[in-house]
Amino acid sequence: MEEGRRGIVATVFSTASAVGKTLIAINMAAELVREGYHVCLVDLDLQFGDVANYLHLEAEYSLADAQREAKTNTEGFDVKKFLTVYGYQGWSFYVLPAPFALEEAYNISTPAVQHILQQLQLDFDFVVVDTTSAFSEMNLAVMDMSTIITFLGIVDFIPTIKNMKIGCDTIRSLGYEANKIRIVLNRSNSKTKIDLADVEQLLGEPFYHVLPNAFEPARKSIQTGVPLVYSSTNALSTELRALVERYTNRTSSHESSSSGVSSWFKKIFN
Amino acid sequence: MDYRVILIENNRVMLERLSSVVRGIDGYELDARYQQAGDALGQGKMFQPNLILLDIDVPQNLALIPEFTDAFPGAALLCLSSNWNANNAAQIVKAGAKGYLLKPFTAQEFIEAVHTFGRSGMAASSETLAFFSPKGKSGKTTLVANLALSLARKSGEGVGIIDADLQFGDMAVFFNLSPQSTIVEAVRDIEFLSPITLNSYFLEVPEVDNLRILCGTKKPDYAELVDIEPFEEVVRMAQSLFRYVLIDLPPGFNPVSISAAELSTQTYLVAMIGGGFEIQHMRRAMEIFKAWPDYGKRVKPVFTRVEPCTDEQRQWLSREMDFPVDAILPNEYLLVSAAANNGRMAVDNRSGTVFADNINRLADEIIGRRKMR
Ligand SMILES: Nc1ncnc2c1ncn2[C@@H]1O[C@H](COP(=O)(O)OP(=O)(O)OP(=O)(O)O)[C@@H](O)[C@H]1O
Ligand SMILES: Nc1ncnc2c1ncn2[C@@H]1O[C@H](COP(=O)(O)OP(=O)(O)O)[C@@H](O)[C@H]1O
Ligand SMILES: [Mg+2]
Ligand SMILES: [Mg+2]
Repeated sequence: MEEGRRGIVATVFSTASAVGKTLIAINMAAELVREGYHVCLVDLDLQFGDVANYLHLEAEYSLADAQREAKTNTEGFDVKKFLTVYGYQGWSFYVLPAPFALEEAYNISTPAVQHILQQLQLDFDFVVVDTTSAFSEMNLAVMDMSTIITFLGIVDFIPTIKNMKIGCDTIRSLGYEANKIRIVLNRSNSKTKIDLADVEQLLGEPFYHVLPNAFEPARKSIQTGVPLVYSSTNALSTELRALVERYTNRTSSHESSSSGVSSWFKKIFN
Repeated sequence: MDYRVILIENNRVMLERLSSVVRGIDGYELDARYQQAGDALGQGKMFQPNLILLDIDVPQNLALIPEFTDAFPGAALLCLSSNWNANNAAQIVKAGAKGYLLKPFTAQEFIEAVHTFGRSGMAASSETLAFFSPKGKSGKTTLVANLALSLARKSGEGVGIIDADLQFGDMAVFFNLSPQSTIVEAVRDIEFLSPITLNSYFLEVPEVDNLRILCGTKKPDYAELVDIEPFEEVVRMAQSLFRYVLIDLPPGFNPVSISAAELSTQTYLVAMIGGGFEIQHMRRAMEIFKAWPDYGKRVKPVFTRVEPCTDEQRQWLSREMDFPVDAILPNEYLLVSAAANNGRMAVDNRSGTVFADNINRLADEIIGRRKMR
């Protein structure tokens, strides 16, 4: 990799919980590796992160350890020391898990996370970030830093759709390039009486990509700790691969946004 | 019914001002007014009042409340003060007053105070139930909405929901309400509110006249406008307005969820069974609540979407949690989501289902606990 070149930050975000952020972040990382990229997956669901759970990782260090070291050893800090390798049949990627203790999670600072992500950008082609479903200060800072945001939604019942709409409008109001945000629908054929076209109309744009509902493969993937794109061929893994392919074919979106964290609140109201 | 009112107000100017408000309202007759409480106690009986307004900015008057209730057993006593104070409120209710009203008041505030407190009085002690979940999609809002309805119907007493899921509160959608005022305005204005004026920020639920809801923010960025101290004041004031206060919270540990849990008499930990790591997350959350000396009584785990929804399953979950699980709800996805989609709740629609039965049982337990105190 060229000196000073900074990798892509691909963030997975949503405004409803349990829509599949973690599953998609994991499979995005895994598929990028299959495509030959050097990838790190960061779990920013600080309190109840599932990345290490879903991958059955026994990590020695977490984001909290990295933050501690970054604070005490500013000069010599090397984030790589805190990563855990996930490997499967010759494919591997790096993981920075969420803090192990809730007290640690509560004390993670946004600037430390920004600093750690910036370091990772120097070492990896892709830094894939899993988040929580809230417009927190940290999520906003990370979205600012992101090259691309996968805004994930599902269509199950009205409150979720309301929150997807509010989330979309809020993200749009942050002033990012339209191309930076990809609205992806997950679990599309799950039980619901709501028409997708109506939802697209409400959101004001079509879904960039649609992922099918595949309950059993998803469950099995979590149970075995193996990403879907590695272990199985089914409608979901096929679409996950297709999504990642669409991302990597785009060269125009590789530029990283450099705007700092201004209060999102201000941005929304000007 | 016509009200015969006696007004005690030490400040001469204020006395005039309040008198003219009361005189101007149809159905209210101002029979006597005094600057000194002693005069009212000695002379007021002449008029057989059924409503007494007592100025408690005069500290000695607080101590006279029991004498007033003794001397005027047929009258409701409302205390008047120029500022709201949760401690005072609790004290006056214990002493026998029905409620508390900020002065000066408008005719409308006054009428509403009489209406709200006249029947059942202000809550001297309330059950405050906070609903915490480690992660979202726990079935928490569904539980709060249905449980509140059940509590309102079964107890007949005042039930208030505070939707404190600040960024993505769903309560308004669940009840099909379009709030003019939300938690943001309540928190903004709390300094100037009394229970009566706060009451109007809570929306009425059609057909359930003892259930009211303080809805969540309309946009996630408004969440920034909610500071913790005034939020806590809203909760405390709601406690004197309702017998049961249910607080829906954002997922995880954050300033709002922590402070609501601290203010609660009971904190429910809620998770939905989904074949993931939810039991593990609940155990981790429980560890934090163990810092409370009384956590064993105060924390109540609830699991939703439990199949099969049997007592064996509840016992199994209790063993996994190493802590008794208080309630389990069955997988009723279609029933509850259809109800929420239509702004109608499941329990009301169809009792006799396992879902409704378990919610109703939980409500009975809460009502029973309150009566024990
Ligand atoms: N396309 C899909 N088909 C079937 N099941 C899915 C699909 N996507 C996700 N799931 C399942 O949905 C559940 C929630 O997924 P996941 O944990 O990835 O969501 P999340 O958005 O990270 O949730 P949280 O906000 O709680 O962190 C998991 O059990 C997962 O296996
Ligand atoms: N007991 C249950 N069984 C099946 N689905 C449920 C149950 N309770 C809630 N749900 C569904 O789960 C989703 C999330 O519920 P909600 O109450 O909004 O959770 P939260 O407030 O924790 O996010 C909704 O689609 C709801 O209809
Ligand atoms: Mg997740
Ligand atoms: Mg909710």
